Amino acid sequence: MAISLSWADGEHTPEAPQPSSRGSVPRWPVALPHAVESAIWRGDALGTPVTTTIGTGFEALDAELPGHGWPCQSLTEVLQVQSSVLEWRLLAPAMRTLVGQGKQIVIVGPPKPPHLPGLRHLGLDERHIVWVQADKPVERLWATEQLVKANAAGMLVSWLPQARQEQIRRLQVCAQSCDGPVILCRPAAAEHEASAAPLRVQARLGIDWELHIHLLKRKGPPHEGELTLPSVPGGLDAILTPRLRHPSRLIAARKRQGQGQGQGLPQDISREFSHAVGSPSPRRPSGRSAPAH
Amino acid sequence: MLWAALLPDGLPDDPRPRTDALDGLATWCLQFTPRVAVLEALLACPAVVMELEQSVRLFGGKRRLVERVREDCTSLGVRQLSWAPTSLAALAVARSGLSNGFAKPLAQLLDALPLETLTQVAAHQATLARLGCRTLGQVRALPRGGLSRRFDAQLLATLDQAYGLRPETYQWAELPETFHAKLELMARVEHAPALLFGARRLMLQMAGWLMARRSGVTAFTLRWCHDAMRAKSAGDGGELTVRTAQATRDTEHLIRLLAEHLGKVELLAPVGDLELLATEVQTLEEKSFSMLPEARQSGESLALVLERIAARLGPDRVLRPVILEDHRMEWMCRWRPAPEPAPRATCRAVNVPQPTFILPKPLRLATENSRPLYQGVLQLLAGPHRVEGGWWDRTTEADDNQQETTRQTARDYWVAVSEHAGVLWIFQMRLAKEETAWFLHGTFA
Repeated sequence: MAISLSWADGEHTPEAPQPSSRGSVPRWPVALPHAVESAIWRGDALGTPVTTTIGTGFEALDAELPGHGWPCQSLTEVLQVQSSVLEWRLLAPAMRTLVGQGKQIVIVGPPKPPHLPGLRHLGLDERHIVWVQADKPVERLWATEQLVKANAAGMLVSWLPQARQEQIRRLQVCAQSCDGPVILCRPAAAEHEASAAPLRVQARLGIDWELHIHLLKRKGPPHEGELTLPSVPGGLDAILTPRLRHPSRLIAARKRQGQGQGQGLPQDISREFSHAVGSPSPRRPSGRSAPAH
Repeated sequence: MLWAALLPDGLPDDPRPRTDALDGLATWCLQFTPRVAVLEALLACPAVVMELEQSVRLFGGKRRLVERVREDCTSLGVRQLSWAPTSLAALAVARSGLSNGFAKPLAQLLDALPLETLTQVAAHQATLARLGCRTLGQVRALPRGGLSRRFDAQLLATLDQAYGLRPETYQWAELPETFHAKLELMARVEHAPALLFGARRLMLQMAGWLMARRSGVTAFTLRWCHDAMRAKSAGDGGELTVRTAQATRDTEHLIRLLAEHLGKVELLAPVGDLELLATEVQTLEEKSFSMLPEARQSGESLALVLERIAARLGPDRVLRPVILEDHRMEWMCRWRPAPEPAPRATCRAVNVPQPTFILPKPLRLATENSRPLYQGVLQLLAGPHRVEGGWWDRTTEADDNQQETTRQTARDYWVAVSEHAGVLWIFQMRLAKEETAWFLHGTFA
């Protein structure tokens, strides 16, 4: 592995039971059985989970997560400034895998009513989703705990805008016997509180069809910087023209124009965007021929 | 032969409730074997006896069967549970406070027991005591001829039956067609959740009855009667019907469901009596056990936990979606309570982009230079997508003088992007007086 521990270079460290992983020497002459491999932790490696994981569907994110996916049998916190902005886009690839295995997705207390036609674009269908409408914080926690204890859902996503540390800790203890990933969506303000969840993800929306992910907490070395994951909401992929792939440029252009002219004119809108989203007849959107930027 | 004798505790004194209580216990016993009898129902120390030799294999061995009977016994108010090779021996052993009648050879064990353990022997206790007999063994040592001449035939017959020398005949208890059990509470109960303790005993009886009938329950009713010292306004009592989606006889699940429902009940007066009825019963298909180990199923099934959540939050709060064939966003998808069966017909998938969250009611947006505003100026990306129609969808609005209106819509949907609020699904609609307005309707979250 190319990564090495700089602090270990100068001094002679006593030989650990496992060989050091410095340089590009193969770690072991023979491949170890998975059970042994997963029990050994190396200094430069991400914490190896004892639990199973579900791939997130984003390669860049998988590479940074211990176990290469959303952990099962533990809590995962997704923190965002504003709710109902990117939850499905972040979680849907993993859900698609689970639904493919015939497992159920249960959502507890989403901030807005989910819309199934949109979710179908993400690979969910009506037989595999259950919406538990819980509004009060107590109800949300209770329903979440019951579902975690029952261990019946393939994936549990719960929105907990007001949850205290000890409540999260209690859920984490329950979640250790739950076979699916348990995702808690919490506000960004929770970043400054301690939390028992072994994985905490801070998510932010990038305007050019991207998600910016920062791992606040994970098993292993701290995560620095931000991951940028490409993500186009399901269904919109087909209608995006090359020009629409970069909405930030459009916004910048509008701002420049706004400064130049003093005000944007209503006819600008109709001139700029001449193509339709969808039409009664299933023909290809004519917007493809729109002039590139 | 493997006989069990159960001595119930705290029976009422009146004949009718007393036999009812004993029959309830007998009903519970019928889940293990059809050979169940009630002995001496109206005498001082009644008992329920059952013969289990034939059921040992069905319940996975003698030890597991005994454990299973013993586990539930205490919740049913059984004071003493004893085992012996004959029913009268089991009864005698139970009355003397022992539980295992197999510890010693039967004759040796019974010889040491006092006279009052067998009712027919106890009837002659005074005479026998004057003869110097204190135990059954001493009575048995007396010459048989003299015993049969001086005492009634019952004495010798009972002794022979107890020692296994003469066959026993019984009127077997019958399984009732419907389940209906009553319980007089030991103390007046003032809080509904505290009823659960008494209801638990009735539930176990119901589980036994269901097991014996190879059925499961889909609805059961718990009734309670207020005691005599109530206010006039309180009425006689109340009742609560609990329904389950799937037929079940899992006592723990039923009790938890009942607990959720009882949590919402407020009692008007203290309660003295409880009554449990199995209102809707369905035959249950038995699961056969597999020789191979099955996949690990540690938790309960999703349906059960959703049912429990629905019991606390309300049935319309645990929802599953149904797709409808409509192109207007509000009516594309309907959420129905989860236990309802899913409609068979499948709808065509919509090919146009759709948001993943919608607002329950479109939110009118402010505009700036004809551009919609929502957490900053929105950048329109793609559109317009015209959704028009709905003249066929008539509704009557209550506040509008019962006037019939149609849910006609004519909207131009756009995909818009905001730096803070993400990708949005907004529409422009024509209002009265040549005005137009922008509305937010969903987010591509």
